[in-house]
Amino acid sequence: MVFVCWTVWWPTITRIEFSPVCEDAATQVVAAKSSRLLASHLPQLVELAKAKPRAQGAELAVLLRGCPSPAWVDLTLSAVQAVELAYGLILRAYRAPQIRSHDDDDAPLALPDRVVIRCADPVAAQAQWEMRQAIAQGVFLARDLITAPGNLLGPAELAAQAQALTALGVTVEVLNPAEHGLNLLAAVGQASTRPPCLVVMRWNGGMADEKPLVLVGKGITFDTGGISIKPADHMEEMKGDMGGAAAVVGALKAVALRGAKTQVVGVLAVAENMPGSGALRPGDIIRSHKGLTVEVVDTDAEGRLVLADALSWACATLKPRALVDAATLTGAVVRVLGRHHAGLYSNRDALAAKLLKLGRDEDEPLWRLPLSAACDDDFRSDVADWKNCGWGPVPDNDDAARFLQHFVSPGVPWAHLDIAGVSESDDEHAFGPKGAVGFGVRLFDALAGG
Amino acid sequence: MKISFAKPQLPDQGAVVVGVLENKVFTPTAQALDDLSQGGIKRALDASKFNGKKDQVLTILAPAGAKVSRVVLVGLGKAEAIDSQAAQSFGGTGLAQALTSGDTQVAIAVDAVPGLKIDEADFAANVAFGALLRSYRFDKYFTKEKKEDKPSVKKLAVLTAASGAKSAFAPLEAIAEGVFLTRDVVSEPANVIYPESLAAQCKALSELGVEVEILGEKQMKKLGMGSLLGVGQGSDRESQLVVMRWMGAKDKDAQPVAFIGKGVCFDTGGISIKPAGGMEDMKWDMAGAGAVIGAMKALAGRKAKSNVIGVVGLVENMPSGNAQRPGDVVTSMSGQTIEVINTDAEGRLVLADALWYTKETYKPKIMVDLATLTGAIIISLGGEHAGLFSNNDKLADSLTKAGSAVGESLWRLPMGDAYDKQLKSDIADMKNVGGREGGSITAAQFLKRFVGDVAWAHLDIAGTAWSKKDTATCAKGATAFGVRLLDRLVADHYED
Repeated sequence: MVFVCWTVWWPTITRIEFSPVCEDAATQVVAAKSSRLLASHLPQLVELAKAKPRAQGAELAVLLRGCPSPAWVDLTLSAVQAVELAYGLILRAYRAPQIRSHDDDDAPLALPDRVVIRCADPVAAQAQWEMRQAIAQGVFLARDLITAPGNLLGPAELAAQAQALTALGVTVEVLNPAEHGLNLLAAVGQASTRPPCLVVMRWNGGMADEKPLVLVGKGITFDTGGISIKPADHMEEMKGDMGGAAAVVGALKAVALRGAKTQVVGVLAVAENMPGSGALRPGDIIRSHKGLTVEVVDTDAEGRLVLADALSWACATLKPRALVDAATLTGAVVRVLGRHHAGLYSNRDALAAKLLKLGRDEDEPLWRLPLSAACDDDFRSDVADWKNCGWGPVPDNDDAARFLQHFVSPGVPWAHLDIAGVSESDDEHAFGPKGAVGFGVRLFDALAGG
Repeated sequence: MKISFAKPQLPDQGAVVVGVLENKVFTPTAQALDDLSQGGIKRALDASKFNGKKDQVLTILAPAGAKVSRVVLVGLGKAEAIDSQAAQSFGGTGLAQALTSGDTQVAIAVDAVPGLKIDEADFAANVAFGALLRSYRFDKYFTKEKKEDKPSVKKLAVLTAASGAKSAFAPLEAIAEGVFLTRDVVSEPANVIYPESLAAQCKALSELGVEVEILGEKQMKKLGMGSLLGVGQGSDRESQLVVMRWMGAKDKDAQPVAFIGKGVCFDTGGISIKPAGGMEDMKWDMAGAGAVIGAMKALAGRKAKSNVIGVVGLVENMPSGNAQRPGDVVTSMSGQTIEVINTDAEGRLVLADALWYTKETYKPKIMVDLATLTGAIIISLGGEHAGLFSNNDKLADSLTKAGSAVGESLWRLPMGDAYDKQLKSDIADMKNVGGREGGSITAAQFLKRFVGDVAWAHLDIAGTAWSKKDTATCAKGATAFGVRLLDRLVADHYED
């Protein structure tokens, strides 16, 4: 639970155990035939289709709703498989924070408090389980943050959530953008009464001389579009325009919780994009951290502005071994890839290939799209080095990625994930309920390794 | 305009308004004028299409034989159909013909014709009332208006043989004062009428014996009114909740009736901003509050023997760097949480806390709220009826009857659980919008969650608060819809 005002606690799984036996099972899950699983508790029988253990676990989370505790998963699984099943189970069992005076009448039925998974080697399973649980905690944090409405999670509150990771050994700094030449970030946040910030989270689990993996997240805690204001329909979804930052915070929590032996730095570009008497106007020209000037023709193309400064600052300050950013950046990427792949752009084939593979392994699929110099023509300005977007039928997702590339040092292996289509789900999905997915946490954790 | 009542005697100057019944049947005064002009009135009438149907008019200038500058014939229709509404219409229509004519005096002849539905004194009083209502004009900001375009009439004489006309008119005059206050505050632009200045208008009612209490943002915050406060948070203007108490019943502790008004002094839509075309109309998004304030003035003015509470939630809905965002979740005074999907569905957020506060503080017999709440009501009922929603059939019935009696028509629309489900939110107790379908109904369902078990009705007056054309008793502009209706409801059911 992230916020004190979350008033409803949903009874869910609080304990997962691995054991060769279970004496007091109230619900039993057994294999049915060779290809099916069966969960039963009188008078109910439910079947589970065959799949990979993680996906099976996720499906089990739905089947176990309303079943009494403890549930005994009586299957023949190796330690690795048992842990995978447990991992899928808790990822799917997550329910978003509720801000209610009384629970929803249509809330899903409660899950059993305790689940015991049959495993011949409980000690090995438990050790691996702690690693998985760490990552799941990171995923849940990301989901909670994305779900939080804009009035409860502004820039300061998001920074405070990052600062809370100091308890896990992460070093956190909150910088005032204007004091560090991050003028684009400052400009995007200038109309809001809640000032912008750059949050830097350092996990020093590796050797001191090891170059860090740097993860950068777009953290627009609410995006009205600013003076180029968005239409009212569905604007409430813009509370999730910090999905990239949430993934980075979640990933840092995951690596810290599992004590990863590697150097990772998370950088969040945090602002609230509001209209107001002090707002950035279309046509304003801003000198970026990199020194390049940008004509802001559309104040609603603000994500690339805050990321440009954050990437440029990261390259100059952190000497990354690799630099990966995640952002709910463009509506165009949703038209191109829909809701099942994030857009991947990279200046290194090896990094792109690695990310593609990890995305498949972690069920966070990516699809590579081109970084094209031809896009430069779309955002050449008459009065500045660049404008922040091209109007008309231009491939805005490609343009945005190419725009960012101008702010990344060519020597740094860099990848950009446009997660606008995958950060939230309109319906229940394989590993979670409707709403925030926490996309990127598992991928980033795997990329960090250690 | 000064109104006096006089014995029937044809004036020797100015304009005179006389009635003609259907099929060109002259009233006695019309006949007298025709006699004076040796049949000139009849000839003029025959030369026109005038037949005496209700509200038909024919103006005859300087008829021979009579000393008046003009004779205005107004159709009365059938004598047996003449009720107080028709009488007001007669007075208003007649006055309108002379209003800018250049004449400074107008006399309206009220003749007792056989078969009238109301007594003669009431007839005369309502003619005067109709004329008074029609004389209202919001012209304070015309600095260069030509003299000939300004209303010229300064004195109105109502000619009647009935001796009780003047005393029958007294309470109606008090109601007209209430109507005019409402029209004033609704017509004023948003730079003049904003939460604090409208609260000051309420405060002025204390001269009539109304107790007025004003809650500012600090007090509302203490009370937990997160729903109302969220709406006003983007504006530099401080939100206000004003409580007006008229304790006119013999027993000052008797359970009161309560009227609650939506007072969004300007509604830009906030971050879910409205398109620019027509946005200026949103200065009258406080017409519900305006009606409640006017009704309180009317009730106090005529010293109604009833305990009445008026509560208005006053805010300005603006976008800004501090404005409420779509998706924000707020906690209302009732403890229920609301996910604000669209900041332009703000009226219900204001009313939610105003209704709950009223219910908790005053335990009223009934609550009636008035609000320019939804555009959807204009689509369904147009400008002829306001939408009526209620959890109580008897109250709905009383309101409908009161409305018909004063010419402020209501039409009841359905409510039910199926509509209520449209307000389901993923993370809070409810959303503030329920989609396009049944938009006025889902708005009413939303309000219903804040009234508990109190008999309650909601009037959606978005289509009736402002008139795009002149009517018999109201010049184009603010109608003050609701003032007469609320006054009548009290008079019919809640007075000692």
